[in-house]
Amino acid sequence: MRAQPSSDLSSPALARGAASAPILKIEMLSVRFGGLAALSQVDFELERGTIHAIIGPNGAGKSTFFNCLTGVLRPTGGRIIFDGEEITGLQSNAISQKGIARSYQITNILANASALENVRIAAQSRRHGWNMIAHHGAFADINEKAERALHSVGLLAKAEELAGNLSHGEQRNLEIGIALATEPKLLCLDEPTAGMSQGETDETKELVRRIGKESTAGGTAGLSILIVEHDMQVVMELCDRISVLHYGAILAEGTPEEIQNNPKVLEVYLKT
Amino acid sequence: MTTAPLDKTNALETMPMGKSKLSHTAVFWIAFSVVIAVLIAAPLVLPEFWRRFLTEVLIWGLLAMSSDLLIGYTGMISFGHSAFFGLGMYGAAGALLVASPPNLWLAVLFGLAGAAGAALFVAFFSIRLRDIYFAITTLIFSQIFYVIIFTWTAVTGGENGLIFTRPHLSIPFLYDARFTTTTMHWFVLAAVTASYLILRRVTQSPFGMVLQSIRENEARTRAIGYAVERYKMVAVMLSGLFAGLAGVLYAIQNQFAAPDFVYFLTSGDTVIYNVMGGIGTLVGPIVGAGFFQLARELLSRLFGDQFPYLIPLGIVFIVMIIFLPQGLLGFARRWLNR
Repeated sequence: MRAQPSSDLSSPALARGAASAPILKIEMLSVRFGGLAALSQVDFELERGTIHAIIGPNGAGKSTFFNCLTGVLRPTGGRIIFDGEEITGLQSNAISQKGIARSYQITNILANASALENVRIAAQSRRHGWNMIAHHGAFADINEKAERALHSVGLLAKAEELAGNLSHGEQRNLEIGIALATEPKLLCLDEPTAGMSQGETDETKELVRRIGKESTAGGTAGLSILIVEHDMQVVMELCDRISVLHYGAILAEGTPEEIQNNPKVLEVYLKT
Repeated sequence: MTTAPLDKTNALETMPMGKSKLSHTAVFWIAFSVVIAVLIAAPLVLPEFWRRFLTEVLIWGLLAMSSDLLIGYTGMISFGHSAFFGLGMYGAAGALLVASPPNLWLAVLFGLAGAAGAALFVAFFSIRLRDIYFAITTLIFSQIFYVIIFTWTAVTGGENGLIFTRPHLSIPFLYDARFTTTTMHWFVLAAVTASYLILRRVTQSPFGMVLQSIRENEARTRAIGYAVERYKMVAVMLSGLFAGLAGVLYAIQNQFAAPDFVYFLTSGDTVIYNVMGGIGTLVGPIVGAGFFQLARELLSRLFGDQFPYLIPLGIVFIVMIIFLPQGLLGFARRWLNR
């Protein structure tokens, strides 16, 4: 993938919402911390409705990439185009409103509130957020959205449980549920299986796969998923495409098979 | 997301939550009615001094409750409440001195406007900051008002403050009479009760949930799409309005406005009432204010006016922090907020 001339953006094929256009297109993204280039001229594309992973050794710039995309960091160069709209340098609340959700490694919002209430706070961020008069549980549309998000991550049966009392794995899934409740077009998962047992890892893998399918089947937009992950097995089984970051630049990009057989990747990533 | 109906047969609907919620609501309103009934009856049985004392506790309680919206629910410790209280006080004083005959509702209006102005000013400089930086900034910017009030003698009376007459308790076309200590008490009680009910509603609303989410994790709240700064701004303004109302009530009750109340020690007291009573409960701070005022009164009665009551109170405070860190009503936090 090379940087394309910017005139391409105005062409009809890349107009907003066009089915063939990638949901996310990143051009020449650079981040410098003082003299250190954390990301240098990264080009990246994510096709609508796919699960795409970013892997790379520690310090390769995965987190920086993630933070730029979700508005935590402001890139020093380059452009981020989401769904036909430039979102470079927007604040994270604005990016969330555009339809990018992220899950965190640290879990949930209110440990002292129920799982449902946690998801509901996210669900009401599109409507009713400023309402000061009604009880927060009084909105049918919000409850519906929240329950659906809980259902997607398999926690509906524990809706009334305090978030702090859930198991580690359940809390991680609740975290994904909170992200889903904002009804995103692109879901970014930050090491969704970190710290999980093998059993929990398998469940979460299944969960991510299901979320991707469910949403694509039902909605017209289709949920695209971006994953940053260490666990190679998870990545190889789950993802449609993989990008390898190395020293802040894209080293390789392709299907899991291509990546597994790429000599450059084997050299710098799998051996270290 | 799919729009297919959700299968939740064995999840929410079979939960006994409807039932327990109802009884919780019933218990809450019964307790609420009992407390209000006691407070309505109190001035009829209490002697003059304690009548006034109770009224003042309610006023300080309202001030503390207003700051609980920031401390307990939004996680921002404000040291600016003396300015909101003070501007409410001086706003009311201005209205009572300018208008003739003095009008109660004009005083309320001027006081709230003054407090809102102060809250807007303080919030503008402080909402981007967090934790101790927020606290210090609110303290500094609120003290600007103290300096202005203290030095602008021509308008504010400077060190001496302002003295004015009490307006009548008037409800247009219905009622008009001089305040007595009893009707004053009822008026304050009505204002504090209404404020409690409004603040309780606000904290349980979607907006209130956003504030609590900001308290727990600001970055996360931003990441699910909330413009955190705007929410904080509105929270400070709301809190400032209720603090201003407390200032108005104090001015009417005592018929003077003095710069001492704008000094940051008032803000410190407010934070102490919150910690003693239990933050994040709204009623806790009122209980905390009552506890503090009562302890001070009893100590000076036992040992005389010159007794340095702050020393034993400080010890009580430290003991409470160690053994009762949640405050007097902290144990009921979840229950009160449901």
